[in-house]
Amino acid sequence: MTNIAAAPAFTDTPLVIGDRTLHSRLMVGTGKYQSNDAMVRAIDASGAEVVTVAVRRVNLDRSKDESILHHLDPSRLFLLSNTAGCYTAEDAMRYARLGREAGFNDFVKLEVIGDQQTLLPDVAGLLEATRQLVKEGFKVMAYTNEDLITALRLEDAGAVAVMPLASPIGSGMGLINPYHIRVIKSRLTVPVVVDAGVGTASDACVTMEQGVDGILMNTAIAEAKDPVAMAHAMRLATESGRAAYLAGRMPRREIAVPSSPTQGMLG
Amino acid sequence: MNAPLLPRLHAVTDDRVIARGNVARRAADLAAAGGGDIAVHVRSAQLEGRALLALAEAVRDAVRPHGAWLVVNGRADVARGAGADAVVSGRGGLTTPDVKRVAPGVSVGRSVHDAAEARAAAAEGADFLLAGSVYATPSHAPVPPRGVELVRDAAQLGRPVIGIGGITPGNAADVMTAGAQGVAAIRALWDGEDAAGAVAAFLAALRRRDAATQRGTDVHVQVNGEQRTFPAGITLTGLLAALQLDPRAVVVEHNRRIVRREGLAAATVGEGDSIELVHFVGGG
Repeated sequence: MTNIAAAPAFTDTPLVIGDRTLHSRLMVGTGKYQSNDAMVRAIDASGAEVVTVAVRRVNLDRSKDESILHHLDPSRLFLLSNTAGCYTAEDAMRYARLGREAGFNDFVKLEVIGDQQTLLPDVAGLLEATRQLVKEGFKVMAYTNEDLITALRLEDAGAVAVMPLASPIGSGMGLINPYHIRVIKSRLTVPVVVDAGVGTASDACVTMEQGVDGILMNTAIAEAKDPVAMAHAMRLATESGRAAYLAGRMPRREIAVPSSPTQGMLG
Repeated sequence: MNAPLLPRLHAVTDDRVIARGNVARRAADLAAAGGGDIAVHVRSAQLEGRALLALAEAVRDAVRPHGAWLVVNGRADVARGAGADAVVSGRGGLTTPDVKRVAPGVSVGRSVHDAAEARAAAAEGADFLLAGSVYATPSHAPVPPRGVELVRDAAQLGRPVIGIGGITPGNAADVMTAGAQGVAAIRALWDGEDAAGAVAAFLAALRRRDAATQRGTDVHVQVNGEQRTFPAGITLTGLLAALQLDPRAVVVEHNRRIVRREGLAAATVGEGDSIELVHFVGGG
């Protein structure tokens, strides 16, 4: 246990994805921040080691201070390149290859989006791109929906992690389908990292209580009124949910059971 | 006293630059790097006549040993007093005949912002036109840039045209292609640490453009979806240099194929090629 120094009762194993060992189970995005300074401080407060980044065109007219690498230290943070905004397997593979060429690692957070309104994944395209990219040596972390069969196929296809959504990207609706997330976690060997949809700390906590290996979020922190404070809250919630899962919750029952002794009452 | 040919690279000051107090020294560095290709424009909205004259004289002494021009903006009297090579007169400023009367023998440039102003300036006998803003610039933020079309229109009038506004070594070739005889810059020449490097980058761009013109072989390329012109034979390394992009900071895709850093120098850009230059930005 590394994160809560003051809580010696809680011991956890590190999260291993591909060949990477992580001590934080919270991963964060770098989009939508009001300022780079707020982003940097929020990442710091989150304790995240993995941060996602997107591949986009350089602005030809003012390229000087635009790359996010001016603000993120790749020796301290693991830069996970995504394929956000790609609607076909072919596009997603193109972005993945460009991201890898930046030279940091061969991981990709693979997204193949199927619908503009919900940003839900196109699982057929996702499987196709996963198979091909795995052949090319990529370590694919596949953003998918909360469907067990797709998750199993992604694992078969060689994904190093499967990333089912809590709810649609940027929606802040929280964990809609805890049962399906638990089922996916119980059936997969590779890590399950819930990606997208949490809105506030309790969402992160409930998500981690399902026993998943990690959680990735962006908007919940970046669009909070105080992103740094929310990043801190998310860190605590992620650790809290993880600790509660490991602790093993009491059985749920539909009757009350008194907490205080029923004997020794006054006559 | 005039140098025979209008220089091609114009280093224009403004009050922001002048406020730094090292204009003459920087002007000497620029002139040393570019020689007769350089014209230093002393331009201020704030300095009164005596201070402006003192500055013009200091710049003259700094640049003339290198064969560069001194140009004074607005004030024909100051130009004459300092022995300037040219005066540039703006909207509402002295007309060309006014300047010629006050400062005989000095070249007269007119600052023009649209095709109508360019026609009027040519009609009154201006020796050259300073046309802008070509591209967006922080100093003229409220005025929309006119694009290379302004240069193209002005160049039709048969007077040498110097483009100004947002011009960098990366887009200078496009301005020249539109018909400019030279380019002017403020930030790109005065702001960086390395004056000589900035001059060299501009002059290299102009020379590449000359070479392409002589061969008649420009290549037209789509870069990140924008149409750009480069001299034939340019490599991806040269293209990145022309765009002032650090090869370590971008990933290059050439006709849908990724070109690794070590392969950039060997990859020649051809007519109609499509190039994507990408990097990491914030994302979820």
